[in-house]
Amino acid sequence: MVIDKQTCRTELRIAIQHLTDRCLHSASKWAAEQLVGIEHDPTKNPPSHTRLQRGSSSILRRFRATDETITCTPIAGTSYVSTPVPEEEDEAVDTDLYLLAKSYFNCREYRRVAHVLSDQTGNKALFLKCYALYLAGEKRKEEETIELEGPLGKPDAVNAELVSIERDLAAARNNGSIDSFGLYLYGLVLKAKGNENLARTLLVESVNTYPWNWTTWSELRSLCTTTDTLNGLKLNNHWMKDFFLASTYHELRMHNESLTKYDQLQLTFGSSNYIKAQIAKAEYSLRDFEHVEVIFEELLRTDPYRIDDMDMYSNVLYAKECASGLSYLAHRVFSTDKYRPESCCIIGNYYSLKGLHEKSVMYFQRALKLDKKFLSAWTLMGHEYVEMKNTPAAVDAYRRAVDISPCDYRAWYGLGQAYEMMAMPYYALHYFKKAVFLQPGDSRLWIAMGQCYERNDIGMIDKAIKCYKRATDCNDREAIAIHKLASLHKELGQNDEAAYYYKKDLERMEDEERDGPNIVEALSFLSSYCREHGRFEDAEVYCIRLLDYNGPEKEMAKDLLQEIKFAQSQHFSS
Amino acid sequence: MAGMVKPQSGFVITPHKVSICILLQVYAPSGQLSVPYPFDSISQHNRLGLFLIALTKSCDDILEPTLDDSLKLLKEFGGLLYNWLTDHVTGRLSSISSPDDLFTFFTGLRGILAGLETSVIDDDQINLDPNSNLGLYLRRFLLAFNNLSFEGMCHLLTNIKSYCKEAFSSYGMSHLDDASNDPEAPLEYENMDLENIVLQNFTEELESRKKSTEQVPFHNHSSKALISLVEDITVSPGQKVKQSLRSETQMQSTSVESSDVIFQRTNWQIQGFLSEKAEMIEKLGSSFPMSAFESVLKLLQNLAPELHRVHFLRYLNSLYHNDYPVALENLNRYFDYSAGMEGSDFVPPINYTNNGRYEIALLSLGMTHFYFGHPKLALNVLTEAVRVCQLHSDDTCLAYTLTAICNLLSEVGISNITGIMGASDSHDSTSLSVQQQLFVLLRRSLKRADSLKLKRLVASNQLALAKFDLKHVQRPLLSFGPKASIQLRTNPTDVCKKLRLSSQLIHQFDNESSIVTIDGALSTSWLKNQREPTTTLVFPQESELQSNRDTFYSWLQSSSVPGSVLQLVGSSFLVSATSWELYGSASLARSNALVFATCFADSASSADLALAYGKLIQHLAVYKGYKEAFAALKIAEAKFLSVSKSGILPVKLQLLHERALHRGHLKLAQQICDELGVLASSVTGVDMEIKIEASLRRARTLLAANEFNEAASVAHSLFCKCYKFNMHVENASVLLLLAEIHKRSGNCVLGIPYALASISFCESFNLDILRGAATLTLAELWLLLGPRHAKRALNLIHSAFPIILGQGGLELQSRAHIAEAKCYLSDSSISVSEDPDIVLDSLRQACEGLEALEYHEMAAEAYYLMAIVLDKSGQVEEREEAAARFKQHITALENPIKPEDPLVNLL
Repeated sequence: MVIDKQTCRTELRIAIQHLTDRCLHSASKWAAEQLVGIEHDPTKNPPSHTRLQRGSSSILRRFRATDETITCTPIAGTSYVSTPVPEEEDEAVDTDLYLLAKSYFNCREYRRVAHVLSDQTGNKALFLKCYALYLAGEKRKEEETIELEGPLGKPDAVNAELVSIERDLAAARNNGSIDSFGLYLYGLVLKAKGNENLARTLLVESVNTYPWNWTTWSELRSLCTTTDTLNGLKLNNHWMKDFFLASTYHELRMHNESLTKYDQLQLTFGSSNYIKAQIAKAEYSLRDFEHVEVIFEELLRTDPYRIDDMDMYSNVLYAKECASGLSYLAHRVFSTDKYRPESCCIIGNYYSLKGLHEKSVMYFQRALKLDKKFLSAWTLMGHEYVEMKNTPAAVDAYRRAVDISPCDYRAWYGLGQAYEMMAMPYYALHYFKKAVFLQPGDSRLWIAMGQCYERNDIGMIDKAIKCYKRATDCNDREAIAIHKLASLHKELGQNDEAAYYYKKDLERMEDEERDGPNIVEALSFLSSYCREHGRFEDAEVYCIRLLDYNGPEKEMAKDLLQEIKFAQSQHFSS
Repeated sequence: MAGMVKPQSGFVITPHKVSICILLQVYAPSGQLSVPYPFDSISQHNRLGLFLIALTKSCDDILEPTLDDSLKLLKEFGGLLYNWLTDHVTGRLSSISSPDDLFTFFTGLRGILAGLETSVIDDDQINLDPNSNLGLYLRRFLLAFNNLSFEGMCHLLTNIKSYCKEAFSSYGMSHLDDASNDPEAPLEYENMDLENIVLQNFTEELESRKKSTEQVPFHNHSSKALISLVEDITVSPGQKVKQSLRSETQMQSTSVESSDVIFQRTNWQIQGFLSEKAEMIEKLGSSFPMSAFESVLKLLQNLAPELHRVHFLRYLNSLYHNDYPVALENLNRYFDYSAGMEGSDFVPPINYTNNGRYEIALLSLGMTHFYFGHPKLALNVLTEAVRVCQLHSDDTCLAYTLTAICNLLSEVGISNITGIMGASDSHDSTSLSVQQQLFVLLRRSLKRADSLKLKRLVASNQLALAKFDLKHVQRPLLSFGPKASIQLRTNPTDVCKKLRLSSQLIHQFDNESSIVTIDGALSTSWLKNQREPTTTLVFPQESELQSNRDTFYSWLQSSSVPGSVLQLVGSSFLVSATSWELYGSASLARSNALVFATCFADSASSADLALAYGKLIQHLAVYKGYKEAFAALKIAEAKFLSVSKSGILPVKLQLLHERALHRGHLKLAQQICDELGVLASSVTGVDMEIKIEASLRRARTLLAANEFNEAASVAHSLFCKCYKFNMHVENASVLLLLAEIHKRSGNCVLGIPYALASISFCESFNLDILRGAATLTLAELWLLLGPRHAKRALNLIHSAFPIILGQGGLELQSRAHIAEAKCYLSDSSISVSEDPDIVLDSLRQACEGLEALEYHEMAAEAYYLMAIVLDKSGQVEEREEAAARFKQHITALENPIKPEDPLVNLL
C-alpha cells in the first residue's frame, strides 16, 4: 500500500507545529524537509512551488528509468496504522510564561528557561523545563571536559542534571501523566545513564504514541546494535517506521534491505533530499560510485548549501581522482561553514589527493577537534599517516576508529597494513582476519591477507591460495588474485591448476586489451605446459603470440617452435 | 605522536591536602612563641610535627583518605588535643564557601613560611624552614595554587564541599544504618543504574569472601590480600570491613555520579597503582577478584582515556581468568595505542625512536598463546618477534624473547619443530633435535643476557639451564674415551652450582638502592602500622608475637628486593627441591621445599606455592604414611580452594591412587587413573608430565590386577612416548616398571635386562634413589631364578642398602627388608632356626612400615615369612600372633571396601 500523500502532508504539518512548539528544532527541521519532499502533482501546482523539487533531472531520470518497473509495483501486505494526532492542550494561563521560556530557549539561555517554568505543571512546560535543563547540563559537561583535561586526556564528564530530570520524569510517569515527548526525554536520560533496556522500552512507547519525532527514532536506532534487538522491538506499523527501519538496516550493514526500503519511501517522498542522501550512503557502502556521484550532483543542484554527508561525496571524488571536482566542493563547503567536521574532511581529502599529506593530516585533526568521535576522519587520518610512513601514529589513529565503531572494516584493514609495513606480518594477520570477517565480499581485503600469508617469513602458501581463491570469487576487478594464484601454483609445481589460472588471466587481459609482463609470463608458461602435454597446436599458437614480445622469451619461443615442429614431424611419421 | 603521554609529576590540590595545610598552620602559626596555643608541651607539639611529616610523605598515594579517616588517624596521634584539632579542621574546611575564602586561606599560609632572606631566626618563634620537608610541601602547595585557573578554584571548592559532606553523611549513616535513608536511592528497581548494580555485586562478592575467611582459617592469606587490595590505603585491615566498604563505595560513587568528577591523581601515582595491581594479579592468578577490578579499570578509563596502561591491566586480568578473546583484544588495543612505549619496565627512555616497540607486543602475544596452550602459534609469534627485534636491533627484547622461546620449548611437549623455527636459526636448525636446539638457545640467551647486564634474565636462564641439565644428558663428543673421565652435567653438584648462581641475584639487589619511588608508600605503611599491627599472612600465630617495629622493619627489608626477583630466587629453591628429590636426598628436598613455602610464600605465584605444598604432602605420604598426608592435604586444599589450575588436585589423585593400590582397591584405582588422564588433557595445553604420570599409573593398576600383557603394552607405548619427547628421567622409571611386570609375571630372565637398563639410565642421571629401587628389583629377579643366586641377590641388596635405608620411603625400605629376609631364607648356607633374629629384625621393620602404608599385600607376605621363621625357631606364641595378623591383612585385601573408610568420599 502506498502511503497516502495527503494524510502524510497534514500529519507532518501538525507535527512540525508541535515540534517547534517544544523547541525540538532538529526534529521539526527533518519533518519539514520530508513535508516538502512529498512529490506534488505537477498539474495542480504552479511552478514556483516546485523550485525545490527539481528531482527529475535528465541524468537521474535515466538512472531511474531502468528500474521503473520494480519501484512502481505496490508493496503488498503492508498496512499502516493511523495514529491519532494528539490535541494540543491549551493552557491559557501559562501561555505567557511559556512564550517567555520559549524565547529564552531560542536564545540558548537554558537555565533561565528552567527557572521560568519551575512552577508550571502542564506536560508541555514540564518537557521544556526538563529539556532545557538537559541541554544546560550537556553544555556544562562539554565545558567541564575541557576544564578537566589533564595529561592523560579528557575525562568523560557526566551531565549533572540527569539525576534531577530523571526524578521529575519518573514521578510524572508514575502518575501516568507523562506524554510522548516526556517519554522521549526520559529515554534520552536513561540512555545517558547507561540503562539501555529501559531506555529502549520508553523510546518505543514514545514513538508508538507520537511517531513524527525523528529524533526519538534516531535515539532508538542508536540503541539497536544487533538485528535481534531490532526484531524484538514492538513497533506500530506507522509510515515513519519505514524511515526508521531503512536507516537502522544501514547501520546494521544490511545495505540491500535498506535500499529497498528507501526505494519504497521514494514513491511518496519523491523529492526528499534526505532519502536521496541515504540512498547515496547505501550505494557508497555497496561501492557503486557512479550512482553515488550522480545523486550527489543532483543534491548539490537542489540544495547547494548542504554540508551533511558531503564528506562521502568527497570520498567518491577522491576514489575517482577527480581533483578539480574535489577542490570545487571544498571551496563550496568552506565558504558555507568551515567549522564543520565534514568540511574539514573534504579539505583533508583534497590535500591528500594532491599528495600534501601533512596539510591533509592537519585538516583531519581539525575535524577531530570539532568532533572527536568523527569516525571517518580517524580512518582517513590513519591512511595519511601510512602515506607519511609514520606507522605508530597510523596505528593509533586506526585503533581509535576501531574503538569508536568496531565494524569499521577499513580501519581494521589499515591496522593490518600498518603492521605489515613494520615487518610484522603474523601480527597483521589478526587484523586482516577481523576486516575480512566484517566485509567478506571485498576482494582487496582477501588479496591483502593472501599477500601476508605469502611472505617468505611466514610462508603459508596453502593459506595464501585459499585467500586468493576467495578474492577471485568476489569480483576482483584488477585481477591480481588470478595472477597470484597462477604463479603460486606454478611455484608449488601444481601445473594443471597453474595452467587453468594462467589461461583465465590471459583471457581476461585479452578482454580488457591490456599488455604487460603478465601476458608474457602467462604465454610462456602455457606454451611449455601445452607442449609437455602433447597439445602441439595450442603450444604453437601461444609461441607465435610470444614472438611479438622482445626479450629472452622471444628466443625461448623460437626454440620451442622448432622443438614442436620436430615433435610434430616425429608424431606424424610414427 | 598522539598516544604518547608525557610523564607529569605535578602536584594537584585536593581537599585532603587542604586539611593537611590547616594542620600545618596549627603546627606553625606565624609569629608565635615556641609552644603555640593549643599545645601543652613541646613533645605534644613534636608529635603533631611527626604526624604531619608522615602525612605529607604519603601524599603521593593513589587513594587519599576521606575526612573521616584522616580524623580518625588524627585521633590516634592527637590524644588529648583530638577534639580541638577535629573541630578546628572541620570548622576551617566548612568555613570555606567562596573562592575568595580559598584565596585568603592561601595567603595566610604564605605567612608561616620563613623568608629565605631572614638569616637570623628568632629562637622563640616558630617558622617553617622553606627547605625542610614541611616547608617544601607547603611551597609546592602554594605553587600549585598559584597556577590554578579560576575554573580550577571552583572545582576545588565543590570538592571541599563534598569532602566535608561525605564525612558528615557517613557519620549520619553510621547512626542510621539503613539503605532506604539514602536520599538518592532509586525510586524503583528499574531505575537503578548500572554502576550501582556493579557496586552492589562487588560488595556482595567481597562480603562473601569475607565470610569464607571467617569459616576457613587457612584461607586467610588470599582473602586478606583481597581486602587490603580493595580498601588499599584508606583503611587498615583491622577495621570493620563494612566500614571500609562504605568508604570505598563512597569514593567510587562520588567519582561516578556527582558532577564534580575530578581526576586529581598525577600520572606517576596512577602508574604506581597500576603496577602494584599488575603484580598482584600475576601473583594471585585466578583468585584475583576479576569483576571488581574490572569495574575500577572501567572507571579509570573513563577518567583518563589516554592512560593506555589500563588496557594492559585488563589484558592481565582477563588472561589470568582464562578469557582468551578479551585478553587478546585488550593486548592488541594496548599495543596499538602505546606502541609498547608506555609503562614497560625495561624501556630505557633514551632509546626512543619513532618506530615504537612493537616487538614487545609480539613477545607478549607469544606468551599469551603459550599461556593458553597454543605452542605452535606461540612459536610462530615469537619467531616473528625475534625477527623484528633483530630488525630494530632491540637487544633487550631479543634476550627476553629468546628466554621465552626456551621456556616454551622446555615446558611444552613439542616433538618436532622443523619448519617453525627455521627463520630464527637458519644455519643449523634443521639437523638438530628439539633438545639440542633448546640447549643452544639457552646458552645463547644466557650469554646475551649476561652481556646486556639483565640480571633477572641471567638468573632465570641459569635456572632453566639447571633444569635442562637435570633432565638431559649431554654426552661429550668423544664418547668412546675412558669411562672415568666422563663427567656428566647431570651431576648434582653441577646442577646445584647453577642453582646457586641464580639465587646470587638477591645479593646484587641487596647492595643496590633500587628504592626510588616507594618513599611515600613507606610512610603510609608506617602510618598504618602505628594503628594496628599488620599480621603477616601465612603464620598468624607467630606474627602476634611480633611487635610493630618488627613488622615495619621486615616490611622494609622485603621491599628492597623487587617481587619478581624474590619469585625467581624462590623458584630456584623449588627446582633444587626437585633435583634433590630426583637425586635421592629426601631430607634436602624437604628442607628446600620448606624454605620455599615459608620464606617465599608472599612473593611466589600461587601455582608455585601449590607445587611446593604438593611436594611436602607427597613427602609426608612416602615417609609418614597416609594419615598425616591426608591431614596436610586437607589444609592445603582449603588454602588453594580458589585457584583453578591448582597443583594440589593431581597430588591428591596420586595419593588416593597409591593408597587404593596398596589396599587392593583396584576399581577405585582405575577410576582415579582415568581422572588423572582427564587432567592431562586440559583446555590450557597438554601437560606432558601429568600425561606420563597418568599412563604410568595405569600400567601399575593393570599390573596390580595381574593383567600382565596389557600392562606391558601400556608400558611399552609409554616408553616410546618418553623417548619421542626426550624424557629420559621418566624413561628410567618406565624401564623399572617393565622389569617389575616381568618379575610379577614370572619371566625373570626377561626382566633382568630391563632392570639393568634402568640402572644404567639412573647412573647417567644420578638418580640415586631410583637406582636403589632398580637394584632391589634386580636382586629380587635373581632370587626368583633360584636359591643358587641368593648370594648374588644378597650382595646386591646390601650394596643398595645405604641409600635405601637412608633416603628411601617406607615402601622401599620394607621391600628391601623382605627381600633380604627372603635371601636369608633361601640361602642354604644360613640356618634360620639357629639365628632367627637376623631375619626377624628386618621383617619386623618391614611390617611396621607397611602397616603405616596400609599395604595389605606386602604386609601379609611379611607376616607370612615371619610366621614361618618363628615356627622354625619354635616361638609358638609369637607365631600365632603373626599368623593372626597375616589373616587380618589377607581378609582386608579380599574385601577392600569398608563402609567406614573416610577417604572414599574424598573423590
